[in-house]
Amino acid sequence: MAGLSIENVTKRFGETEVLKGVSLDIADGEFVSLVGPSGCGKSTLLRIIAGLEAQSSGGICIGGTPVEGQRAADRNLSMVFQSYALYPHLTVGENIAVPLRMRRMNGMQRLPLVGGLMPGTRAVAREISQHAADAAKMLEIGHLLDRKPGQLSGGQRQRVALGRALVRDPAAFLLDEPLSNLDAKLRVQTRAEIALLHRRLAATFVYVTHDQVEAMTMSDRIAVMMGGRILQCAPPDVVYEDPDRIEVAEFIGSPKINILPLEVLPDGRLSLLDRALDLAVVEGSRGVASLGLRPETLRLTSADSPIRGRVVHSENLGSEMFVQIEVASLHERITLRATPEQRGALALGTPVALAFDTHKALIFDADGARIRRLRHLSAASSEVA
Amino acid sequence: MIRDWWKHLILTLGVIVVIAPFYMMVSYSFKSPGEIDRGEGGFFGRQELMVDERCVKLRDPNRDDIAAAASRFPGQSDAEIRDVLVAKAEADCAMRPVVFNYSKAFTEAPLLRYLLNGVIVTASIFLIQVVVALPAAFALAKLNFWGRDAVFALVLFCLLIPVHAIALPLYIMLAKLGLTNTYAALVVPWTISVFGIFLMRQFFMTVPDDLIDAARMDGMGEFTIVWRVMLPTAVPALLAFAIFSVVAHWNDYFWPRIVVTGNRDLFTPPLGLREFKGDGDGSFFGPMMATATVIVTPLIVAFLLAQKRFIEGITLNGMK
Amino acid sequence: MAVIDASVTDASRETTMARSAGERRAAWVLTAPALILMVIVLLAPVIIAGLLSFTNYSLGNSGFDWVGTDNYEKLFTRSTYEKMFLATLTYVVTVVPISVGLGLGAALLINSLGRFREIYKTIYFLPVMATLLAMAIAWEFMLHPSIGMINRALEATCGTPIEVIPFIANGCTDRFPLWLGDKRYAIWVICFIGIWQGFGFNMVLYLAGLTGVHRELYHAAEMDGAKSAWERFRLVTWPALGPTTVFVVTITCIRAFQVFDTIEAFWPQGGGPNKSTYVMMFAIFEKGIQQNLIGIGSAITMLFLAFVMVLTLIQRWLVERKVHYK
Repeated sequence: MAGLSIENVTKRFGETEVLKGVSLDIADGEFVSLVGPSGCGKSTLLRIIAGLEAQSSGGICIGGTPVEGQRAADRNLSMVFQSYALYPHLTVGENIAVPLRMRRMNGMQRLPLVGGLMPGTRAVAREISQHAADAAKMLEIGHLLDRKPGQLSGGQRQRVALGRALVRDPAAFLLDEPLSNLDAKLRVQTRAEIALLHRRLAATFVYVTHDQVEAMTMSDRIAVMMGGRILQCAPPDVVYEDPDRIEVAEFIGSPKINILPLEVLPDGRLSLLDRALDLAVVEGSRGVASLGLRPETLRLTSADSPIRGRVVHSENLGSEMFVQIEVASLHERITLRATPEQRGALALGTPVALAFDTHKALIFDADGARIRRLRHLSAASSEVA
Repeated sequence: MIRDWWKHLILTLGVIVVIAPFYMMVSYSFKSPGEIDRGEGGFFGRQELMVDERCVKLRDPNRDDIAAAASRFPGQSDAEIRDVLVAKAEADCAMRPVVFNYSKAFTEAPLLRYLLNGVIVTASIFLIQVVVALPAAFALAKLNFWGRDAVFALVLFCLLIPVHAIALPLYIMLAKLGLTNTYAALVVPWTISVFGIFLMRQFFMTVPDDLIDAARMDGMGEFTIVWRVMLPTAVPALLAFAIFSVVAHWNDYFWPRIVVTGNRDLFTPPLGLREFKGDGDGSFFGPMMATATVIVTPLIVAFLLAQKRFIEGITLNGMK
Repeated sequence: MAVIDASVTDASRETTMARSAGERRAAWVLTAPALILMVIVLLAPVIIAGLLSFTNYSLGNSGFDWVGTDNYEKLFTRSTYEKMFLATLTYVVTVVPISVGLGLGAALLINSLGRFREIYKTIYFLPVMATLLAMAIAWEFMLHPSIGMINRALEATCGTPIEVIPFIANGCTDRFPLWLGDKRYAIWVICFIGIWQGFGFNMVLYLAGLTGVHRELYHAAEMDGAKSAWERFRLVTWPALGPTTVFVVTITCIRAFQVFDTIEAFWPQGGGPNKSTYVMMFAIFEKGIQQNLIGIGSAITMLFLAFVMVLTLIQRWLVERKVHYK
């Protein structure tokens, strides 16, 4: 097991720059997710770490040693592919054993008939089979060792891919959207199992996904990538509650965060929908800003609030409700999280007014960067009245 | 790219071996007998005027010719007049080798006729194959009828029968009917292409049933549906099959050799070439190569123009 | 409710029945030509050949005798037929592996190139397209003992360092082989021409097969530690080409059994020097058609049919197996 270090990696495909100077340090045993929309470069970065692609500039270090020019087969990494990439003509047991056979047996020993006659082959082969069986058992596919991939379900194939990756005890595991081919229910179940696996192996995991839920639930840290850059790399709760940029806030969290336009008044005070708030920026830009409010930071109020509108849609998920409210002067609807008990008050068409806690508000400047230095102008229970 | 140099080396050696006979065939079709014998002249030959010996022999002056020419050459002996006439004949019969070769190719044997036969035979075979196979494939793919499975099983079984295996009995049947040495003999055995039926059926099965139902609702009978609805959708597959069929039958030598024995008028191009070879003496290599070039060229040119389609067609088998 | 439903289903059943009756008629009409031709042109001849193989029939005779298995006995005892088997099997056993191997090799090489792919592919496919008879005559001419290109090229190497090779040395002192006139070389020349003509076809099939190999498998192989091209071939490429290989080998085998054009063009009578190229198809042609010995011609035909059917059935069985356990 070892830590990974990505140092200012760029990657160009012809004219297009897919990775723009990405740097990241991953500690030994850490589970880091690379998450972002399609095309943000996360898979490319993973393949560069693996050695399957070469970066245009920058370096990768594994366990402190730079791996310049080292081919993927020599880097002591394991990868789980999105399509699993299992060898269709080999059984499950043989598939899992391939990495061990490649590394522990030389070319001669691996020859089909003749190899078996060479000294020591039998012993090594038995050892390898045992390892493969152990890995399979750990993943609860021990009973499938003699089947071929074509006879397995999607979930089972995924475990075989995992088995093949972990049988070798590599420096780090690279996983490229391993759950995206599974159905929703299986995905939820396998998520937990991968997290458990990580704890059990105490290994370094680099996990690529476009699904922020997976990233949030499994990782020690999330690296949010967009447009070839890492926008923020921090533990899930930090990324959720304390995002560095508006893009991060919008990508993480489901349902999406509510973004409302703010005006920065000459004295620094913030004004929402022509109503001044008890909030002001300490320094910096005047002009336009944005207010980010997560659905759970809003609540119904009877007081006079600048955020008022009508209920146009509600989704009752059983344990909670998400209500969409159309506000006259806003482009997009506001999403409010409510409890199912409130559904009486939130029937379609009901006029509502919303209040929020200014301490939970996320303020972003015109460029999308987070403004953290704020002045709260009223007492602790700052509500918009 | 540079790393690949050894691959290109090997592949180029292969190219040389593959192209060698083509090169030689075309090159010798340009050369004079002398150049062929001595193996010289580059690709096109030097194209010096050569004398066509046969032509000269044909115009060999006999006594009457010499007597008739005497008036033009007063005071010359018979021998001298003869020489002059022969020299004139040689001058008249001089031509460039390429002209010699190709004109001989078309005159020594009715090459044009053979080419025409080739076209007639391959076109007939393909057209009849389509007329037979398409309706059957449609019925097997889209219609429900008792016995459908049996018919299809029969088709599958017939796929196992290689055409060469039935050559002898078919020949006997045709001989008994007195049909050897006819176009019918050349065409009829190939009209049933089980492979074509199989292929078209696979293709038709991918056509949505709705299309056919809509046609039925429009009042089309099943027969009309085959030609109005299924045929247009099947054009790409048919094209591939056409290429497969035309190439196979233009190049076929075995069956025509068996079935056309007496009547030169019926020779297909390969037969014509073979006869040329049998007839000619050593000095006729040039025209023989010219004939070979003429026979091979149409398909090669067509191939070069539409490589993808050709490769698709000939390796139809792979689509199984 | 129930009453209306019943009448609706009755009516629709009637129309579907009428429809299916109409369909049935149409279907039989549509398949009739094909069926008739299948029986007359494909099935009947096989049966006729089978029957005639037990007779001594000749075309033009009014009657014939049943001779039981006499013809088959001749096939397995007379030395002529021994040569037939030898020639045919030599051809098949030589041409099939080499033609398939070259096809695979060429496909692998071409597939790994960045440029000029299409050019090589086109050139290698030319022999498949060209009329074999024409090209065979071209080859025959190249192999002419004195004025042919090949011997001329070999003669040109006399006096150069290449003369070290015993074959060349002998040729320089003695004479270079007569190729088609020499019973030791004739069959190999035929094999060569057969390989020359056919490997392009196999190459194209393999190229198609190679496009079906998942790219990611190569990446997985790399991550698993497969470093050389040979390892990648063994682990990913060769298994993926399994079905293609089965198909290519079968087709090449069947075509190899059917070789005729070159033999008849080069040696119109007799099947080669000392019958060294007396292959099955030619034997059928000579015995059945030229010598009018229909009985034995039919027997050879049945034998040929048996070979081909066995090959095809093996292929079908192999493909079934793979499909099941893929």
